[in-house]
Amino acid sequence: MIGVIGANALRSYRQSGVVTRLAASSSIILLLVLATALASLSLGPVNIPADRVASIVLSYIGLDFTAFTRTELLVIEQIRLPRIMVGALVGMALGVAGATMQGLFRNPMADPGIIGVSAGGAVGAVVAIATGITGLFFFALPAFAFVGAMGASFLVYGIAAAGGRFSMATLLLAGVAINAFLGAIVSAIIILLPDNGALREILFWLAGGLDSRSWEHVRISAPLILAGTALITVMARDLNLLTLGDDEARSMGVRVGLTRVSLLGAAALVTGSAVAVSGTIAFVGLVTPHILRLVLGPDHRVLVPMSALGGAAFVILADTVARTVIQPAELPVSIITAFVGAPFFIFLLIKNKRQVYSL
Amino acid sequence: MSFTRFFMPIVSLAALMILLFVACTSATPNPAPTNPPPPTAVPTVVPAPTATPSPTSTPSPTTAPPSTPTAVPAVTPTPTATPVSTAVPTPTSVPLSSYFEGVPGIVDPTNFGWPREVEGLNGIISIPAKPNRIITASVGHDEMTLALVPIERLVGVGSATKSLTYSNVAPLVQEITEISRDPETIIAASPDVVVTSPFFPAEGVDALSRLNIPLVQTDLMQGPEARVNNILLLAYIYGEEERAIEFSSEVRNRYQSLVDVTGAAEPKARILALTKYSDSIWTAGGNSTEGGVITAAGGINVAEEAGIQGNKTTNLEGVISMAPEVIFIAQPLAFGAEDFRQSLLNNEALAEVPAVKNGRIHLVESRHFTTLSHWNILGAEELGRLLWPDLFSDPIDYGFSLPE
Repeated sequence: MIGVIGANALRSYRQSGVVTRLAASSSIILLLVLATALASLSLGPVNIPADRVASIVLSYIGLDFTAFTRTELLVIEQIRLPRIMVGALVGMALGVAGATMQGLFRNPMADPGIIGVSAGGAVGAVVAIATGITGLFFFALPAFAFVGAMGASFLVYGIAAAGGRFSMATLLLAGVAINAFLGAIVSAIIILLPDNGALREILFWLAGGLDSRSWEHVRISAPLILAGTALITVMARDLNLLTLGDDEARSMGVRVGLTRVSLLGAAALVTGSAVAVSGTIAFVGLVTPHILRLVLGPDHRVLVPMSALGGAAFVILADTVARTVIQPAELPVSIITAFVGAPFFIFLLIKNKRQVYSL
Repeated sequence: MSFTRFFMPIVSLAALMILLFVACTSATPNPAPTNPPPPTAVPTVVPAPTATPSPTSTPSPTTAPPSTPTAVPAVTPTPTATPVSTAVPTPTSVPLSSYFEGVPGIVDPTNFGWPREVEGLNGIISIPAKPNRIITASVGHDEMTLALVPIERLVGVGSATKSLTYSNVAPLVQEITEISRDPETIIAASPDVVVTSPFFPAEGVDALSRLNIPLVQTDLMQGPEARVNNILLLAYIYGEEERAIEFSSEVRNRYQSLVDVTGAAEPKARILALTKYSDSIWTAGGNSTEGGVITAAGGINVAEEAGIQGNKTTNLEGVISMAPEVIFIAQPLAFGAEDFRQSLLNNEALAEVPAVKNGRIHLVESRHFTTLSHWNILGAEELGRLLWPDLFSDPIDYGFSLPE
């Protein structure tokens, strides 16, 4: 199945000049990602001159050119780099999932939260913290968040597909209902929890952030996010066809049901993985694909990979601001994504009213 | 797609974020991790107008402060010290009003009759008569109230005050009715007066005011003199002026005894207060409860020195840049304090941080370091002994006097 989709995707890319557009746009956005990553790597409460940062990075391929201390090496290697990597992965996941959901729902305001992924992840994390399981092993919190995210999204899909006939409208409404239900569970746990320490943990987790991210977080999230992103990317042509409507897509050879569940599953997978390692970071999944769609057009073969890169750049930059703006204290990254994302989003909405509603 | 349409939004987005970023970072230069300024003066303690006899408090069963830097004080502070007599400790030559002049919130410090007025954050409130049924709705207020009035007069406390983890008076209040933020639970206890923190919901204030229940919202400010003022204001509300003079003197004397030692001790240690909840590392800067404890213990709060005010999140790089010589973790063990401590000690990137290098990361009793009441003095006494164990020969008195 995936092999056939991949072959079709490759053929369609060659035929339509998408490769050229991809190359042009990806080179620009990739440069943006690299620039933000390098800036992020060079900035922080510990003052490490840029030449030493460059030397540390190049030392991995034996090209270090100036001396640096062991502390400087460890700050780059153990503190800044894993945090940047997790930020990039989370941004990538949210960007790709946002583009997918907006395409699937044919609604520019859709984001991964619609199918209950974020709320499910929150319930998983809150249950793990409230029951004290988080203290047992490192993976407990992300594992519970991931299971919650996937469980919620499958529940929503199951309701929409009940009776053997899938309905997008039912999916949307089921998502609203399940989100409300899961939100109530989180609220009930918060209200009824007698333990203020656990309560504090829950509130901080719900705020989202990239504090204290380590290579362990990279290891547990990278395979799932990269695999999900790759799957959505190769299915981007079919996603394009789905935006025309089920009948049109079916007439052009798309196995609508299977494609839809695959895309939803992949979007849930990447979002759940992101939520598991970062909590809920607002606005990235909504804003990034939206802005890029206004710039690059609605073709998901370009939009999906570019949303991955754009989301990565957005989160890395936002997190760099979050951890340096009041250093050595720091802000939750969601504050920055909302402060930067919301006004820019509104500006684009006003400026491009007509394009916004044409996917 | 035109060139402009293709590139401009990307360039605009990048420029916007970079401009914001540059503007923000240029306004906050890196804190200097070395060469701290010399410590400023020891916190000033304003003496009471005249010396009042120090009440006799019986030390509760205690354990000596930890001798190793890693130990958690295995202490069960018992606030049930022997009640002391409230019999007139005030010399008759000193007018009562002189003790209460200048205390924020007391409208007329010469009026010791009823009704009397106090100015809270919610305006001027008239207390019609000496209140016999008191509700206080925060841990700090509860702890101070129990030092001022017989426990029978306290008819409602919040759940946190009953928690052994957060409250220093939990053993005393287990039988007292638990109230919530719902005004109905307060009304049901038929209080004569309610004292709350600024965080009590405005709707609750309105509801109680409509029922003519005097409710005073007061802020518990940082610093030893502010704490004494809180005690005097609460006592004025409760009509316990003599006990207020007696107890505020006890608090002042105890604080002064500490700073007499720590103020002269050199060199001052560079101290950082940390906690970690759900991967977020928190520190306490200036104008924080833990910061006040550090100052009282004679240390330099490096978070405050780095420009942090209040309680803020930080990160491991922030810890490195602040270069503390001592780190204390005022977090309950049940919430991963020891794991956090171990993670700091075992993190290679922190190996050059003086506190890590010298193994000076201490777990401390969080309720002594974070509460907004006179019980902070215990935290300062514990920290002082951790910093300069040789300067203190006497064990900590883990109790305060109680009224009859």
